[in-house]
Amino acid sequence: MKDIFTSLRRTPYQAFATFFALFLTLFLSLTIFLSLSFLYGMLGFVESRPQVTVYFQNQVTESDIQKIKEQLISSNKVNSVKYVSKQEAFTVYKELNKDNPLLLEMVSPDILPASLEIFAKKPEYLPELADYLQKQTGIDEVNFQKNIVEKLLSLTSVVRKVSIGFFAYFIVTTVIILIAITHFKIALKKDEIELLRLLGASKWYVKKPFVNEAMFLGLCSSIAVYVVFLIIFFLTLPSVESYLAGVKLLSIDFGFYILPIWPFNMIFGIIAFLFVSLFGIIISTIATLLATKKYIR
Amino acid sequence: MLDLLRHNNFLYPMIVFDKVSKSYPLGNTALQDVSFEIENNEFVFLVGTSGAGKTTILKLILRDLIPSAGSVVVDDFNVSAHNFRHIESLRKTIGFVFQDFKVLPEKNIYENIAVGLLVMGASKHAIKEKVRDSLEMVGLLEKERVFPIQLSAGELQRVAIARAICGNRKIIVADEPTGNLDPKTTWDIMKIFRKLEGKKTLIIATHNTDIVNSLKKRVLVLKSGRLIKDIRKGGYEL
Repeated sequence: MKDIFTSLRRTPYQAFATFFALFLTLFLSLTIFLSLSFLYGMLGFVESRPQVTVYFQNQVTESDIQKIKEQLISSNKVNSVKYVSKQEAFTVYKELNKDNPLLLEMVSPDILPASLEIFAKKPEYLPELADYLQKQTGIDEVNFQKNIVEKLLSLTSVVRKVSIGFFAYFIVTTVIILIAITHFKIALKKDEIELLRLLGASKWYVKKPFVNEAMFLGLCSSIAVYVVFLIIFFLTLPSVESYLAGVKLLSIDFGFYILPIWPFNMIFGIIAFLFVSLFGIIISTIATLLATKKYIR
Repeated sequence: MLDLLRHNNFLYPMIVFDKVSKSYPLGNTALQDVSFEIENNEFVFLVGTSGAGKTTILKLILRDLIPSAGSVVVDDFNVSAHNFRHIESLRKTIGFVFQDFKVLPEKNIYENIAVGLLVMGASKHAIKEKVRDSLEMVGLLEKERVFPIQLSAGELQRVAIARAICGNRKIIVADEPTGNLDPKTTWDIMKIFRKLEGKKTLIIATHNTDIVNSLKKRVLVLKSGRLIKDIRKGGYEL
């Protein structure tokens, strides 16, 4: 640690240049990481809602509805189909309007239609399923979230592609900047390096102080980025909360683990910090290793 | 007598040059067909005019250069092999002293000497002990916390010698160690080298005839890259 601080004190401008190059890259990387996490969370949220809801006319019997349900399941295009009877719809209605007795008085189970809530395997199947349902007899209305899911899907895809592009650009730019800065530092220590090599120091012994300093700066800049992110996050929290008022939980399902994203929680906070700090340390270490490999012979 | 000493392992070749030539891509030849042996703990002067090949020999010993032809063996390491992979181990056996001192200006005297032990992975305690011993030998113990800028040229050269002898290095190579020094300081430095006689293999490249003629040690005389004389207990004239 003493050697790192001595080196930083002796080459402050190179240290600041490294710090700010890393800070910018890490800040944008964290922004991209959080945006993608939120978009995937939103996508999961929308996908968890019934994607197609079909309401039946009053005269349609439960057995007819069950036949349609079976046909949908046998199509292999749906994950699940849930039958909601008139009574169940009334229970939901009562729950939603429990604070409004007037509305409850006006409605009885007979008025509310039975329905099927369908979850498609892929969003692409939604128009096809809606089309099929509309052709059945006794259908009152077919609602499906084609637009929302499609928009979210295309937005996620665009953000992912743009992010990969930006990511690659920032990684390459930062690595080049750090290589140039490390080259300056190596040039400043040319005599010391030559002396060490003549005294029998291994290449790694000579490279180690540069790598240690890079890792330290990578960690420092990632901590700074995270602190700035937390400040911005808590300053904007009220507006974010009002924007996401109807959304109780956003999460990403990895199959083996469901990662909660919203409301902001400790686990997601730790993962975001680990992401930014590991990324910072790895990128600065790689750049330094490349520079030392090229310039320390 | 020499054979008897060799037989009992008191003398064995520490450095062997066998028909060594060194030429550079543009065609100038630094060494031509040079052969000699230097025994363990021997004191040898390398003499010759500028460009005779003295520094090239020292660089070949340090494996800072690779010979174009012939072989160089240093402490049983065949350093002329192109795939030689023990540079660090070889250099840990060699201490060097150059005309330009090669001391680090931002480190104090203690740190400058300790650097040679740090690369060997010595403990803090061992470093402290050995640095003090070396400083005592070169007469700079009271200046261990001083920075190079505060020292004279003679003192800086003594620091370089202290660094070279620190850490049980078997061979000391010195390239014009007194080149920048006045006559009195030159003799002070040579006194330090004489203290090492019989304890280390010493190879000193110089063109200071006074020193060489006074000390009566073995002299290898080089001229235009060729070894023209190998004088035991001799002096020389340029």
